[in-house]
Amino acid sequence: MSVWSTLPPDEQVLTEPSEPADPIPAPDHDERAGLHAYRQARRRARTRRLGTGALGLAVLVALWQVIAMLISDPVFLPSVSQTAASFAHYLTHPYPSQGKPLWFDAAVSLRRVLIGFAAGAAIGVALGAGMSASRVVRHAIDPVIEVLRPLPPLAFIPLFIIWLGIGEMPKEVLIMIGVIPVMAVTTVAALDEVPDDLRLCARTLGASSRYTMLRVQIRSALPGILTGMRISMAGAWTSIVAAELIAATSGLGYLIMQAGDYLNTALVFSGIITIAILGLILDAFLRGLLLLADPSRRR
Amino acid sequence: MAAPAEINKAEAAVTSLPGAEVLVNGIGKTFRRGGRHTVALAGASLRVRAGELVCLLGPSGCGKSTLLRIIAGALPADEGTVTVGGRPVTGPSPDRGMLFQTPMLFSWLTTRNNILFGPRAQRAAGRHERDDPELDADAAALLHRVGLTGFGDAFPHELSGGMKHRAAFARALAARPSLLLMDEPFGALDAITRERMHEFLLDIWDQHRTTILFVTHDIEEAILLGDRVAVMGGTPPGIREVIDIPLARPRHALDTDTEVFLNARRRIRASLRS
Repeated sequence: MSVWSTLPPDEQVLTEPSEPADPIPAPDHDERAGLHAYRQARRRARTRRLGTGALGLAVLVALWQVIAMLISDPVFLPSVSQTAASFAHYLTHPYPSQGKPLWFDAAVSLRRVLIGFAAGAAIGVALGAGMSASRVVRHAIDPVIEVLRPLPPLAFIPLFIIWLGIGEMPKEVLIMIGVIPVMAVTTVAALDEVPDDLRLCARTLGASSRYTMLRVQIRSALPGILTGMRISMAGAWTSIVAAELIAATSGLGYLIMQAGDYLNTALVFSGIITIAILGLILDAFLRGLLLLADPSRRR
Repeated sequence: MAAPAEINKAEAAVTSLPGAEVLVNGIGKTFRRGGRHTVALAGASLRVRAGELVCLLGPSGCGKSTLLRIIAGALPADEGTVTVGGRPVTGPSPDRGMLFQTPMLFSWLTTRNNILFGPRAQRAAGRHERDDPELDADAAALLHRVGLTGFGDAFPHELSGGMKHRAAFARALAARPSLLLMDEPFGALDAITRERMHEFLLDIWDQHRTTILFVTHDIEEAILLGDRVAVMGGTPPGIREVIDIPLARPRHALDTDTEVFLNARRRIRASLRS
């Protein structure tokens, strides 16, 4: 039985939503004119795509500003400029009811996510590798993951508080709980996907079985594992902010909650935007690794 | 980029690969799955002379791929022995290169690094001590040989179908095999590209004289390429008949209209139906 059975259908696609069709086919007829022109065309297409994306964001911000000006009630919806001013101010100045500036809460949340994610990813990849290598391990762990996966990590919060207290540990463990099953499942899938013939091919070229394992099988699974990291990183942010909303005295979730309680809507927006920016940066980092690992995505 | 003189030298080194003689002796293989036994191959025997190009021809399920994989050392035989160049086959070895239906290029390596995978892996295994400049010159020569000179830094996804197959070919040659096992390598290509690949293969083989075992289910392809065609099939599956193809070399796609070709095709058809 496939470990993929543990995922709902919409998550069974490992790759990013692909573009409808590749508008630039690989070079074919005139092989001499070749590679350089081909890559230039790709780069131009990418620039166009990024330009369109920036335009989409700009439209969103403009809409926000126009609506805020029409409503003209900063508690209901602060304008872009009011939010920016609030963001700039509280980034380095403490919010009275909270006592810490924005950057501090951002650092606290980031630390929790990074520690929990690193530990969860390490354990998840190790589990996945074990499941891919051994049928017994796979059959033993598959049902455990199947049971754990659909559970929202947040349901564990009271348990972790009882078991681990109210320090940093329960938050990091919470992140781990969310990351481990995703990483195990994507790692198994990525390793399983490496064709037997690719390994045979390496062997017939003179590679030892160890060399083949490291340089072909694991190397070939790397993009899939990195994609799993991108998926679970997004989940990690969701969990940490939710956990901080409920049971914390620091972090971005706590800050947002505080600002909401005092009707400082501009600061709520600032917190949300900080989450978005940190999420984007971490995802950009993983995406960069993915591009390094998988040249076919560079376009 | 290596200077032309270096290329010629390296090309000479690449060219002087001795083909190995292949002896297949009474090979039998049965697949067991959930109590069901399927005889994939029974009593298959074949002798391939050094430097010969022999095609294994038959319908799907006739055991031709199984035989190829047994010779590659990827699959243990239940009975019989295979020796290549006088040495018995016990597992995969760079003496026996393999080309698959899909090019099986390493997608994260450039064409040049794909070609250098074998030499580097062999060096890591202590099989030789050639240094990087020497390997680079080898790679440049092979890129030139397969017509991919400008594409050493291209990644597989940036190559067309035929170019990928030529890159895979160069990679296989770089490992310096004395026998090339080809498992329907051009089956997925369009007819025109395929015809070009045939000419390419014959041209390379003409220079290298590596022994080649070529699996196909296409009668015309088998006749056009092979010195001899081993017709496979039957129950239990095995080699039915080995037919000589007396077509002169160098061969060309137009040879399909000659009388020799038509006679060979008639004989093979008869053999497949008997």
